[in-house]
Amino acid sequence: MYRYIATRVGQSALLLLLVVSLSFFFIRLAPGDSVTYLYGSQQLTAEVLRNIRHEWGLDRPLWQQYWVYVQNVGRGNLGYSQINQQSVTALLRAIVPNTLLLMAPSILIAAGAGVLFGIAASQRVSRWSDYTIGGLSLVGYSTPPFWLGIIFIVIFASHLRWLPTQGMTTLGGDQQGLTFAIDVARHMALPTGVLAWWYLAAFARLTRASMLEESGKPYLMTARMKGLPERHVVYRHALRNAAKPILTILGLQLGTMLAGAVMTEVVFAWPGMGRLLFTAIIQHDYPVVLGIFILVGTVVVLTNLAVDLLYLVVDPRIRYV
Amino acid sequence: MSDDVLPRLQVRVRGATPARQTPARRFWRVFTRNRGAVVSLYALMATSVVGPLTVGLLAINPEAMSSDVLDPPSLRHPMGSDYLGRDVLGRVVHGINTSLLVGAAVALTATAIGLALGTMAGYRGGWLEHAIMRLADALLIIPTFFLVLSIAFVFGGSLVSVVVLLGVTMWPPVARIVRAEVLSLREEAFVLSARALGSSDTKIMFREILPSTLPPGIAMIALLGSAGILTEASLSFLGVGDPNVVSLGQMLTNGLEYTTTAWWVPSFPGAAIFALVLLMNVLGDGLNAALSPRMWGR
Repeated sequence: MYRYIATRVGQSALLLLLVVSLSFFFIRLAPGDSVTYLYGSQQLTAEVLRNIRHEWGLDRPLWQQYWVYVQNVGRGNLGYSQINQQSVTALLRAIVPNTLLLMAPSILIAAGAGVLFGIAASQRVSRWSDYTIGGLSLVGYSTPPFWLGIIFIVIFASHLRWLPTQGMTTLGGDQQGLTFAIDVARHMALPTGVLAWWYLAAFARLTRASMLEESGKPYLMTARMKGLPERHVVYRHALRNAAKPILTILGLQLGTMLAGAVMTEVVFAWPGMGRLLFTAIIQHDYPVVLGIFILVGTVVVLTNLAVDLLYLVVDPRIRYV
Repeated sequence: MSDDVLPRLQVRVRGATPARQTPARRFWRVFTRNRGAVVSLYALMATSVVGPLTVGLLAINPEAMSSDVLDPPSLRHPMGSDYLGRDVLGRVVHGINTSLLVGAAVALTATAIGLALGTMAGYRGGWLEHAIMRLADALLIIPTFFLVLSIAFVFGGSLVSVVVLLGVTMWPPVARIVRAEVLSLREEAFVLSARALGSSDTKIMFREILPSTLPPGIAMIALLGSAGILTEASLSFLGVGDPNVVSLGQMLTNGLEYTTTAWWVPSFPGAAIFALVLLMNVLGDGLNAALSPRMWGR
């Protein structure tokens, strides 16, 4: 078991190094270096530019620069955004909580409802309720989040005028305490709905497939023969075993889920990572785009590691030798 | 040898597949049971013929501007006109053509790479298998959307390079399935006899084994296509697509600011993406069911 843990931790460390190395080479291979990026607009003589390059160590051998870069990222330093006049880490620290504020409730709603729907469908295979749930989740899964956002805005904001569509708070509003919370919640409603819709479909599909995989197994027959109520058999016995593949695939899908959040934020002008990424792409803000790549890569790699290690604790049968 | 003849015969009998049924017929029989998948197949085939034909025959210029700026849908402009007076329908048809091309190219590239690498990994084994499968693991975990986005952003994403990038990052699921298939195939008698006849490894891999891995290998092709369409649209939406090609994602992002004033500008391109992805996914589910080995004989 310890060997398995060591291998998984080692693999994850290598993946993290790979992510950092990739972004280093993207920066190095991009047209122009950091000096042209920062001072390109000013009329500086070649002499001055050479001095700056020397001072920053850009004339040192590539492997030395690489090592410095890896050390910096390791310390949480993701570079400096000239356009925002701020370090990338500070920018992300200010903005990532907003993205989490959007994602957490969506995932909770989607997980709860999606698992219920998935179980319901798997209990009634090839009946109309299974087809309805299956059809709806296929539709939900195929809806591009950015388009659903536009549809929501057209319906709920332009026509019904129920909810605000842009940003996180009312502009010029100076609310405090509870009114502030309600204001944010009203702004959250539509983007959360879009994300939940999209995630829910994925959860339902996964749960149905995974529950069907379990359905024929002997341990369920044993449980039924003991006379356990069906609800107990499904929720306590089958679901617990079906949860493993669901979690694994969700871990692998985390990157896609984040991508969905990014696009939803752009549609609703939500001040999160997606909005930052969108503006950074327009402004050619290299450090921000690559910083987001490193951050997302790190989060996804670590989540997958955590999921794998969690099984060791949750599932006593797993003793990877 | 005589030991394993018997169980194999039994499997045939239990599968209740008439001997005269070829694999292609068996596939079609299972596939046509899924009505939605059949409809999607025909709809996609029709779209990929009608789309380019309309553009060619009617000589639709997606950039043609007129004085009808932001006109709502009417007989003149069935999907309205945009902020430069361009006909939205004409641009949507162009965008659909682009999307279908992207989907097909990504699906074919990823499948071809997956088939080749999966076959090599399964047949050769050893360090090569190890290297290929670890690369597949890495690509499965590293968020490919953000990887492709970063590369396209730094180096500029022409349509061809976006397609190649997506194909090169989306092959791991195919390679995994194919490798598992090859692992059992390489012990079969026909491989042994080919080797006894003196065939080279390359010949055995690509002439003998690869054809047998095709059904599970191409089972995912439509799902890869839908992922390719959605990812390309998302990249264009975020502004790293090819600016010289009319794409649905780009139309959507440019129309975003007109959502509340002229809903038709961003809504119709988005609906087209949705329809394409949905058709591809329905078809993909059907193909997957009909081509996965464990569905056979049912």
